[in-house]
Amino acid sequence: MGTFIQQVINGLTVGGIYALIALGYTMVYGVLRLINFAHGDLCILGAFVGLTMLSGALGGGHPGPALVLLAFVVAVIAISVAGVALEFVAYRPLRKADRLAAVVSALGASMLIENGIMLIWGPEVRVFPSGLLPATTWHVAGASISFVEVMIIIVSVVLMAALYGFVNHTRFGTAIRAAAIDQDAARLMGINVNRVISSVFVIGPALGAVGGLFIGLYYREAYFTMGWTYGLNAFIAAIIGGIGNIPGAMLGGVLLGLFNAFAAGYVSSSWQNAITFALLIAILLIRPSGLLGERVAEKV
Amino acid sequence: MMRRTLPTAAIGAVLWAGCLALPIFLDSAWISIAAIFAIYAIVALSQDVVLGRAGLYDMGHAVYFGIGAYATAVLNVGFGWPILATLPVAIVGAALVGAVFAAPIIRLRGDYLLVATIGLNAIFVLAMRNDLGGLTGGSDGIPGLGVPSLFGLQIESQSALFWFDWVLLGVVLLVMRNLDRCELGRALRYLKQDQLAASTLGVDARRTKILAFALGAGLAGLAGTLFAVQISTVSPSSFVFTESVTLFAIVIVGGQGSIPGVLLGTALMFVVPQIFREFAQYRYFIFGIAMIAVMVLRPQGLWPRARLAR
Amino acid sequence: MSALLELAGIGISFGGLRAVDDLSFTVGEGQIVALIGPNGAGKTTVFNMITGVYRPNGGKILWYNHDITGFAPHRIARLGIMRTFQTIRLFSDMSVFENVRAGCHLRTRQHWWQGLAGLPSQRREEAEIADRTSDILKRLDLETVADERAIALPYGVQRRVELARTLIANPKLVILDEPAAGLNDRESAKLNETIFGIRDSGITVLLVEHDMNVVMNVTDHIVVINFGRKIAEGNAATIRNNQQVIEAYLGRDDDETEEAA
Repeated sequence: MGTFIQQVINGLTVGGIYALIALGYTMVYGVLRLINFAHGDLCILGAFVGLTMLSGALGGGHPGPALVLLAFVVAVIAISVAGVALEFVAYRPLRKADRLAAVVSALGASMLIENGIMLIWGPEVRVFPSGLLPATTWHVAGASISFVEVMIIIVSVVLMAALYGFVNHTRFGTAIRAAAIDQDAARLMGINVNRVISSVFVIGPALGAVGGLFIGLYYREAYFTMGWTYGLNAFIAAIIGGIGNIPGAMLGGVLLGLFNAFAAGYVSSSWQNAITFALLIAILLIRPSGLLGERVAEKV
Repeated sequence: MMRRTLPTAAIGAVLWAGCLALPIFLDSAWISIAAIFAIYAIVALSQDVVLGRAGLYDMGHAVYFGIGAYATAVLNVGFGWPILATLPVAIVGAALVGAVFAAPIIRLRGDYLLVATIGLNAIFVLAMRNDLGGLTGGSDGIPGLGVPSLFGLQIESQSALFWFDWVLLGVVLLVMRNLDRCELGRALRYLKQDQLAASTLGVDARRTKILAFALGAGLAGLAGTLFAVQISTVSPSSFVFTESVTLFAIVIVGGQGSIPGVLLGTALMFVVPQIFREFAQYRYFIFGIAMIAVMVLRPQGLWPRARLAR
Repeated sequence: MSALLELAGIGISFGGLRAVDDLSFTVGEGQIVALIGPNGAGKTTVFNMITGVYRPNGGKILWYNHDITGFAPHRIARLGIMRTFQTIRLFSDMSVFENVRAGCHLRTRQHWWQGLAGLPSQRREEAEIADRTSDILKRLDLETVADERAIALPYGVQRRVELARTLIANPKLVILDEPAAGLNDRESAKLNETIFGIRDSGITVLLVEHDMNVVMNVTDHIVVINFGRKIAEGNAATIRNNQQVIEAYLGRDDDETEEAA
């Protein structure tokens, strides 16, 4: 029973992170029908920006939660700016082009960011400093849950609830949903589609930066190829939930997190990725549009 | 109608024949680069069969390249088969695996197919790393392959391997050109452009797409054998997802369905990096910039397929 | 007259809407049959069921008395049933010649490996295909635009290209979805001749058309549907005087002229 609850805790923590990152994939896909392969790398860039804030200022004698909060703020701002710039440079010129041109542009952006991180921060694994957050650990029914885990789960839930409210209950959220269904019709209704797209490239990377920094704080390390691993898992989560579907990305993230935690607990970890992909392929074959259904209009 | 296609084909044939003389002028390092170019050109052309011509988003094509290489390595090192005898096994084996993989996932729409093939690539690499069936040698792979021998002649020297690779590249180029001029090649284009219209003209979408997958995989398997011989060792890291992405990018950057485009793309992605070896750590960084720049400036690719050719 | 195609009580629903319901009619060999009805009556849906694009969820489709219900589109094509589309579906990247040649798909006998090897027999067949394509282009007055990109041409020409693509396959039945839509007066006047020409070459014709000049003058048999159900059938004279048909079309005069324009 103890291990079971422990796996649930681990799964929810990782699932929360996946969900935060998955939202960026799903929102971009919803509006542009583009797999933003660079999204995972943007998220990890967020982790590195945060790391620089945390380790740079540590010597100055201001450790602790306030500094962590500052690192989040800086990472979110930096990655949002990077996201908008990415869209403007690499995707906007290709909106009317063959879809594959945008896919390759996205792959190029992914390589650019990933290797940019390597050139700036080096190819080695960078360790997050200790003592930033309370080391408190609670024990529940034979399982333990740390402060970081509680923080990740709560913040993820709050952010997702906020996004859900924003998309479903504000005018701008309605515009985002409208643009996802039919860009031309949305434009005719007076919606500024360019602004909607830019906003998606603010919101997605902002949430992703939070997710990326969570990864760093949770595993206490970051390395430049990490974006690919976590990005792919998050993207799989988005597909499992139904691509373009915001609640779907949340559900998919949590389910994949739980699935991975249990797979790692009971099956050899050297096969873990293979199992995740096998699950994905099985889901695609059984329910090609994901668990909650995709929310993208098919243009014939 | 011949008027249009003949010159490019003829120029291509002359260029190819001219390249056969390269070993006379190049030092051994460059001969081996030119040989590797031929090998990757075959894989890239095979990717183009699936991606550029059939329009199937296959982002796991390195799998079939790997199956060919592993087939040759396992049979040669493990069972003592001569290299040339492993070649048909590599081609047919890769083609069969391609068909078997494709059969269930072929009906998935565009991006889903792409994701499923990424998954297959990951599963393949893990299977090789985890020493599947005790045959694949784990992460270190299989070292110590022999050399092919043809009519008692050992194809051992760098130049001999170069000619071996380039002759097979010539065969593959011929097959690709024939594909442009036969009903299968046209059926793939019909399906790519409008599957419904193609189906109402009698094109069996499922069968034709699986055939395209098998053909692309088979050609990649052929290249796999050449690759295994060239570097005389086979390990999982040569067939990882990054390789698949590079192949995918070659086709789109070069020009879908365009033989010269794909060859140009191969040269840019595999040969140019060899020239700038000392900047190795900037390689992918610059690649990334180049991929974005090419797509933004030339979304159809550097050398797009000639339109309206009969 | 023997029945070539028979629809026996077919129907289909889309999300609770019964688009076509219990529809039966027969197309005899060598006939020209029209399926007419107001907009949204379900005519194109019927065509989509016959050609395997949609699978009916009730009733049967018979071809020479064999059940072909639910066959995939390529199998339907193999039987000798070819169609055009209301929203012309030409291959956008290809010339007129290439588009028309696409119709030869089922008539080629080459195997894929023969094509890849470029065997002499395959080369000969390629030459035959090219000749056949040129012939049909000549027959339909398309040879001057053979090398043009098909979708850049005027609507009327595109319709002829699509028609040529079906005829080159040597079908037993062609299904034409609004062949007169988008044609100018001269082209529309020529269409009647073209349709008679198709029939005279031994091909049965089933068409959906709004242009009553075409419908009344060329057809042997007319089937009228409204709201997915058959309301009348018979020859031109019968239909013209059928009270139900007049009612179905009455009050829609405005729409009708708009469409003709």
